Amino acid sequence: MITDRSAKPDFQVGALLRGDTNTIAGWIERWTAGQAVRQVLVIAVGAGAFGAAMGSWRAPEQAAWSAVKLPFILVATAAGNALINGMLAPLLGVDLRLRESFAAVLTSFALAAIILGAFSPLMLFFVWNLPSPQPGAPVAVAAHSVLLLILVGLIAFAGVTANVRLLQLLQRLGSGIAPARRLLLAWLTVNLLLGSQLSWISRPFIGKAGIPVHFVDPHALNGNFFEDVARAVGELWSHFFR
Amino acid sequence: MIPSTASSSPGAPPVFSSSSEPSLGEDPADREAINGPAGLVEAVLRHPRRVIYQLRHGTPGGLILPLLSVAVGFVAIYGLIAGSFSGGVQWWAAPVKLAAGMVATAAICLPSLYIFACLCGSSARLHEVAGALGGLLALTTLLLIGFAPVAWLFSQSTESVVMMGCFHLLFWLVAVRFGVRFLLTAFRHFGLRSEAGLKVWVVIFLLVSLQMTAALRPLIGTADSLLPQAKKFFVAHWVDCMNQHSR
Repeated sequence: MITDRSAKPDFQVGALLRGDTNTIAGWIERWTAGQAVRQVLVIAVGAGAFGAAMGSWRAPEQAAWSAVKLPFILVATAAGNALINGMLAPLLGVDLRLRESFAAVLTSFALAAIILGAFSPLMLFFVWNLPSPQPGAPVAVAAHSVLLLILVGLIAFAGVTANVRLLQLLQRLGSGIAPARRLLLAWLTVNLLLGSQLSWISRPFIGKAGIPVHFVDPHALNGNFFEDVARAVGELWSHFFR
Repeated sequence: MIPSTASSSPGAPPVFSSSSEPSLGEDPADREAINGPAGLVEAVLRHPRRVIYQLRHGTPGGLILPLLSVAVGFVAIYGLIAGSFSGGVQWWAAPVKLAAGMVATAAICLPSLYIFACLCGSSARLHEVAGALGGLLALTTLLLIGFAPVAWLFSQSTESVVMMGCFHLLFWLVAVRFGVRFLLTAFRHFGLRSEAGLKVWVVIFLLVSLQMTAALRPLIGTADSLLPQAKKFFVAHWVDCMNQHSR
């Protein structure tokens, strides 16, 4: 007997990955506190496993801290922007209530976390094959750079996939592609704004050879992500055009 | 024990594939029971649709252990052949390392296979994905057994580790090619809409497998220790071997 999976209101990983918008829209419309807890747990396990894998290169403590920090950033970004995300939805032509917009964002973060979690065994195997972080060793610097690039690539893949699925969901919930695109762009912007700063404060995630492991950097609250980017751009400018 | 649920559930609905093949279960041969390890090996080689039907409609996860056991047994036998090149400790180390490496590779790659399959629209559940991966491994290692006499002959005829490594790599790549074909066929019957994601996964699987050979080196030849003391990327390991060979 073939069961109609779309009839199940429970959170299903397979339906989320396949982008089964009817099922996902059903969750969003009948979203409960229980489903929110399940999604947060999925984020904690998926992003936590990935964070642990990337932090394990530096030290076991770094693995533990990264396993806590990465899911925290995702949940904190969704929670911190819940109000503005909920306000932007009707303004940009998608008829979502505050609860529904929070559910949609949390669902897309859960999808990204599932993908990251699935890649965590690969990440762990990759880290296990990297040279150990020895202070001053050129090979350790190269290993850190390679790890960073792989990390960015995997997070970008998870993020793009989650956003493509979110766009499909917004199209299903809203009124066509144009409002869905506008809303997704707006959500991406505000989530980037908060998420990047939370990540900057919570650094380090990988750790560096020769620098002691901290839960957060002792100077975490000095400056912000965008100041750092602006400073880096300024340094590059003065290096090439002075 | 290998489940024979096809006979117990003859009314299971056929699954429609995206290709022009008849749908799974339409041909009565698809529903025939798979009996014993010999029947499983024959089904993997000659009647892959029977294996896929059992994965889809049989006892959930019922074929995973038999497929994996067959794969581990075959790769261990091939490991004996690979170990015969150096003899000594490699008689037992090569089969153990190849079997352990294959199981570890499968465990590392299974979650991402499930993710890619779902992203490509497949309705396969995790145990079906694990079964399809088991089929890939079983068919790959079965073909390695087919190459074993050739590999043994060359193992006894040459002293070049690089040459033997190239032969083993060639045999493995040919075998994996057919294993991947089994996997893609299985996923076509599991409702796959696009193969692009699975092709990306195949690249990941190949890279992990190749790195596993470097992480468990030496698989052929000899070394001071059973496992490597230094971590090395597999390409760097190959270059080092070739440099030593050319000296």
